[in-house]
Amino acid sequence: MPVDSFRLIGSLHRDGASLELKTVDLCFLVALYTRANDGALTGFDEEALLDVFEQVCEVVEPGADNPRKRATHAVQRLRDQRLLSRVDGAGVVRAGEYAMTSLASAIVEFYMRDDALTRESLTLLTKTLLASLAELKTAARKATSGEDWRALVVAPLRVTVADLVAGIERRQRGLDAQQEEVQRRVGELLQAEWFDAVERCQGLLDDTTSTLAELNAVLLHDTNQMQGLLQDVEQLATTFGAVEAEEAVQRVTEQVDRVAAWGSARQCAWSEYYQYVHRFLRDIVRLDPSRALSERIRNQLAGWSERPFALVVASAASIRLLRELEGRVDRPAVVRPKRDREVPLEEVAIDLEPAELEERVRAALAAAPDSLAGVVRQVLPEVPAPRRFLAVGRIAAQVAAEANPTSARERPWVAVPGDIEIEDWHLRRNDHP
Amino acid sequence: MNDKAFARLEEVVLDPIFPEVDVALRQGRHIDRDEGDSYAFLLDAQDTLEPFYMRYGWDLIHASDGFFYLLPRGDQLGQRHLSVGEMLVGQTLALMYLDPTTLQAGGVVQRPQLVARLAGLIGERELVSALNPRRRKYDERIAQETVRTEVGKALRGLAGLGFVEILGEEQLRLRPPLLRFAEPVRGLEDPQSALARLVAVGKAVMAVAEDAEEDEP
Repeated sequence: MPVDSFRLIGSLHRDGASLELKTVDLCFLVALYTRANDGALTGFDEEALLDVFEQVCEVVEPGADNPRKRATHAVQRLRDQRLLSRVDGAGVVRAGEYAMTSLASAIVEFYMRDDALTRESLTLLTKTLLASLAELKTAARKATSGEDWRALVVAPLRVTVADLVAGIERRQRGLDAQQEEVQRRVGELLQAEWFDAVERCQGLLDDTTSTLAELNAVLLHDTNQMQGLLQDVEQLATTFGAVEAEEAVQRVTEQVDRVAAWGSARQCAWSEYYQYVHRFLRDIVRLDPSRALSERIRNQLAGWSERPFALVVASAASIRLLRELEGRVDRPAVVRPKRDREVPLEEVAIDLEPAELEERVRAALAAAPDSLAGVVRQVLPEVPAPRRFLAVGRIAAQVAAEANPTSARERPWVAVPGDIEIEDWHLRRNDHP
Repeated sequence: MNDKAFARLEEVVLDPIFPEVDVALRQGRHIDRDEGDSYAFLLDAQDTLEPFYMRYGWDLIHASDGFFYLLPRGDQLGQRHLSVGEMLVGQTLALMYLDPTTLQAGGVVQRPQLVARLAGLIGERELVSALNPRRRKYDERIAQETVRTEVGKALRGLAGLGFVEILGEEQLRLRPPLLRFAEPVRGLEDPQSALARLVAVGKAVMAVAEDAEEDEP
């Protein structure tokens, strides 16, 4: 999406721009547009606006209450949506004068437009376009400066030629709308009249088909010539180094390509539709003039569960294709790695130290010490320095189990050999419980 | 007589399009005018292929509505009948095919239109029980999901057989073979007699109801 589109989308979003038009508003705009065109008016005074609205109201909503008040609201709605603008600048001094904005004109023109391509209009447009392109080619040959290129080639390409091609495209859209209308009409005719509508449907189809075929023939012939002329102009621009002109030619070439592609695409799509409808008319409408078949199928379907049946179809199994023969590859089986479940025994020297410590503690206790610190001081000097901390724990455990210690709530910290301090317990003599 | 009419079976079999058409027909596909090359080939080769397929126990049928298909006369090379879902969806599509409003879109209909039409014609509960007879309990959410799933399955089956063309998530192009679903009511005779005649010639079978029941999980 071009940057400008993003900016526009952003600003529309920011301003909360929206359009909301009631049918009566649209009719009001159409009436204003027609009045302005017929009377060559550039604006309407307030009174004229209100009169036009009242007239429209009489047609689309006869008998509506208080048309004057509704007219005031309608004018305000249109002004809020920038469809009507006040052009006099007199403010409150006097009643205002209003004009339709280009947005309002565009909306009305959309509804009023009935331009569709006909052989005549297309031929006229393509011939004018070819003449313009031929003039451009001549001008391009004569152009000697950048200014010449801009004035004689780029400007006409952007305005005249681009407008002519856009004119063809616009009429193509008109024809598209006409085709849709034909398709809708064919459906409605058959729905309403069935067999009696066959001839009229056929006529509608044939008319559109011949129109499309003629248009496509004109397009095929003339777009080739246009592309040839555009190529010549582009060649001249390239030789001169007129970049702006090259770009303008390319844009118009793209438009012409689009016009040509439209022709073949529409003819192809219409051809499919034509065949389909033609077959429908021939195989269904003509063979079932009273339109009884639909009703019978409806009944069949409604009663299907009571009398179910099923269509039979062929169902041959697919041909079995054998795989190509491959040399056999021996793949090793997936196994767990082997592990020796019988772990060999190893000789370990018996650690006698805990037992010796136990004996020494027991011997110390036999001497009836009065505190844990006394036992520790007696036993610990024989224990190697690195193991003393561990030994203190073991001594305490044994003393707790064998010597009936008591302890105050606050136990005193006492130093023992090996820079260790312990919380001391008082030991009661076993012979004095 | 067409210029390209084949004189001998060998010429037919050697035609580049033969394998594709042959496999499609054997798998139950209906080939109509929209499949331009295949249809034209069958038109040209019809006289040669009819006796060829007859030897396998199949009739090569050229319907007046403009399509070909193989009709099995025995079990020699395989046959099947359409499922309940395929039959219900097929009949509804046939009805839509005959509707002039379908013309505006050139025979293209929307899948939700089909489901709505089907439910409108048969009734939602009847449709659920027809499409999933094993389920006894009715839960609206599961029922609707079942209908959509079964309709989708039926459409894939019908598309494989050439009755309809699936154009994307939502769109379907209806094709002339759908008129096979209208065969029992096409003529002036009584529909029951017409159906009996179709069964007698092997074009249809009387469907067997599925009787197993299944509770909600």
